[in-house]
Amino acid sequence: MRILFVMKHRGNAGNTHAVADYMRVAKKHGHEVALFGPPQPWLPDLQFSMDVGAFDKVAYLFESELYRVSRLHEVRLLGTVPRDNRVVLDMDGMYNPLILLDGYDRNHAGEAERRQWIEHYHALSDRVVKPTIAAPDQPHVTPLPFYGYDPALQLDSAAAPEKTYDILHVGHNWWRWKEIAEKVLPALGGIRDEIGRIGFVGLWWDEPPAEGPDAGPPEAFQSDPELFRKLRIETRSAVMFDEVIRTMSTARINIFTQRPILHHLRHLTLKYFEIFYADTIPLLMLDPDHAAAVYGPAARELVLSGDTGAKILDALKRPDCYRGVVEDVRRHLSTHHSYDTRLEELIAFLQK
Amino acid sequence: MKILLVISVDPWTRSVPTVHKYVEAGRKLGHDIAVFGDPNPELPGLPFTTDLSGVDLALFALQVPTDFPDMPHLAHLLDGIPRERRLIVDLWGRYNDTILLEHDFNHLEKLDGHLGWEWEEAIEAVSDTILQPTLTPLRANVQPFLFHGFDPQSVARSYATAQEAAAVWRANRPAERPYGVMYVGSNWQRWEQVRRFLEQYGRVRGAVGKACLIGWDWWERPDWAIEKGILGIDTNPELLAELEVEVRHGVRFDEVVDLLGQARFAPIFHRPLFKHLGFVTVRSFETFYADSLPVLMLPRDFVRSIYGEAALTLVPGADVGEHLLDALERPELYWDAVLQTRSHLARHHSYEHRLQELGELLEKGVLSRERR
Repeated sequence: MRILFVMKHRGNAGNTHAVADYMRVAKKHGHEVALFGPPQPWLPDLQFSMDVGAFDKVAYLFESELYRVSRLHEVRLLGTVPRDNRVVLDMDGMYNPLILLDGYDRNHAGEAERRQWIEHYHALSDRVVKPTIAAPDQPHVTPLPFYGYDPALQLDSAAAPEKTYDILHVGHNWWRWKEIAEKVLPALGGIRDEIGRIGFVGLWWDEPPAEGPDAGPPEAFQSDPELFRKLRIETRSAVMFDEVIRTMSTARINIFTQRPILHHLRHLTLKYFEIFYADTIPLLMLDPDHAAAVYGPAARELVLSGDTGAKILDALKRPDCYRGVVEDVRRHLSTHHSYDTRLEELIAFLQK
Repeated sequence: MKILLVISVDPWTRSVPTVHKYVEAGRKLGHDIAVFGDPNPELPGLPFTTDLSGVDLALFALQVPTDFPDMPHLAHLLDGIPRERRLIVDLWGRYNDTILLEHDFNHLEKLDGHLGWEWEEAIEAVSDTILQPTLTPLRANVQPFLFHGFDPQSVARSYATAQEAAAVWRANRPAERPYGVMYVGSNWQRWEQVRRFLEQYGRVRGAVGKACLIGWDWWERPDWAIEKGILGIDTNPELLAELEVEVRHGVRFDEVVDLLGQARFAPIFHRPLFKHLGFVTVRSFETFYADSLPVLMLPRDFVRSIYGEAALTLVPGADVGEHLLDALERPELYWDAVLQTRSHLARHHSYEHRLQELGELLEKGVLSRERR
């Protein structure tokens, strides 16, 4: 099967990396996966195509922006690919009722915007995929975990870069500030003198996007550079998708956070899996049951659910013990979440 | 038939008069014709619909990318109307190899972001029946369909004879016909032709009367053209001032015919690309509604094939000035050509005729799809 993904090309975002993984695995199984568009010199390892007629299925993948190709390309796609061969992948929870969590994170600015998204999805396809292991919540929604784990990408300690950080957080500052400010930073503040370098890698930790309100609601990019300075937290801009694992591997511990609304919806993201490729100890800001459902029971040991500061110190003090847990999780992921399985699931769904 | 016209309509530009004529002709003939989309309060005479039930034919009329509707309508349309019931008429010659003539072009990425193959693939994605408003399409898989037409009921003032027309024309006082020459149309790849016309007119302007240009960008080269480095939208304010040419901004489509009737002469210019492709435009026919003498600044072969033999009288020779003076001298001859041409247009290019052609093209498309 030949599958064409229509999505925004973002070399520093998880979904591009996931599709790159599908490309790699697809070849092994005699399938083909490409991104719609002309080749991008800055993404030389990804396959692009505009030969719409050469594909069996088109997957429109949406994040938090109603991504559109140009009108002529839209005509070409819709006029060439029959509706039955088109699906929508709703990665950021836009295909839901209006959700507002704790007066903070939300999927839509309002009902009018939500209606526009829903109309757009319905116009494209009858079928919407959500990247989750939760049960479907609407009749034509299909849950597919979508993201997967490829043990070949695990980074050996021997091949890993030198550990220059004690703690890293790799991810963009997009609706994450509340959790960081309320849980992570107070914990780090309490143990700051006992640990070494701390880094936050990703966009918008120092300042909101230059585009201003066009990039999204200001609350989504909230940050406190002064507090970061006080806690001696370093920031670095985003890295390309193929540098994420090595970057994470420069720290003894990586803290995993998830955007609240996606956690609430039990959506998976690439980071769930990617963090276990890295030569590091992932500590997970997740609901323990959800973590166990995805990673297996051992993962409960990695969840930051009680005294976060104490857990971080414990992981730094007993790395071998935590590495054992990480190995258990890696085994679980290899067994239950391989990209071979993911590709099979996706193809089985597309063939229906 | 229930016919959908898929085109962006704007009261100030492009093919909106033709769209109105289709709707009127449809009413007369018992067809249900509407423009696809949401109602436009600026165009109360047009019915709009997004209801796709029972549509027999969807005619996509393409000039610019936004003639294709936006989402979600676009998907509804392409999913809801079977391919064999969709026809596409390429009004600006997009479905050709890239052509660059003088400064004119059919594809220009820096203007609209699209390369030639993108136009081609989008057009082919819509329909197998690809039409162009020319009798001589360049590509074998393109069929001629002029799209624009002539509605004899729209002639501003009818005359029984050329003598009557000439007498009225000659007797008009300045208050009734204040201009010698008027051209309504925007400055888009036509300046060279307009300049040559004006220079020759300039020598006889005392006898002919004041000239007037109505449309966008005649007074100065627009900033966007300068920024994008797009040539062909040139002008010469000194020349216009020297010839005392009155320049006015664009007007709504429903003011054009009456305005042209305020001038003795109404030239028709086609942009170089259209001349090359033998394309007709809304103004090719609409100018003959006006109570004015058309001056056909067009190739003779084209004039003969579209307007008929009589219209050749309305094509100036080497000197436009002489042509205008001769018409002032012998208006009967020219009005006779106009009346004969109107009659030719009514016989061969009515909207009833166009609708019949559309029905035949649809049938042909459906049959050819069935055979496959």
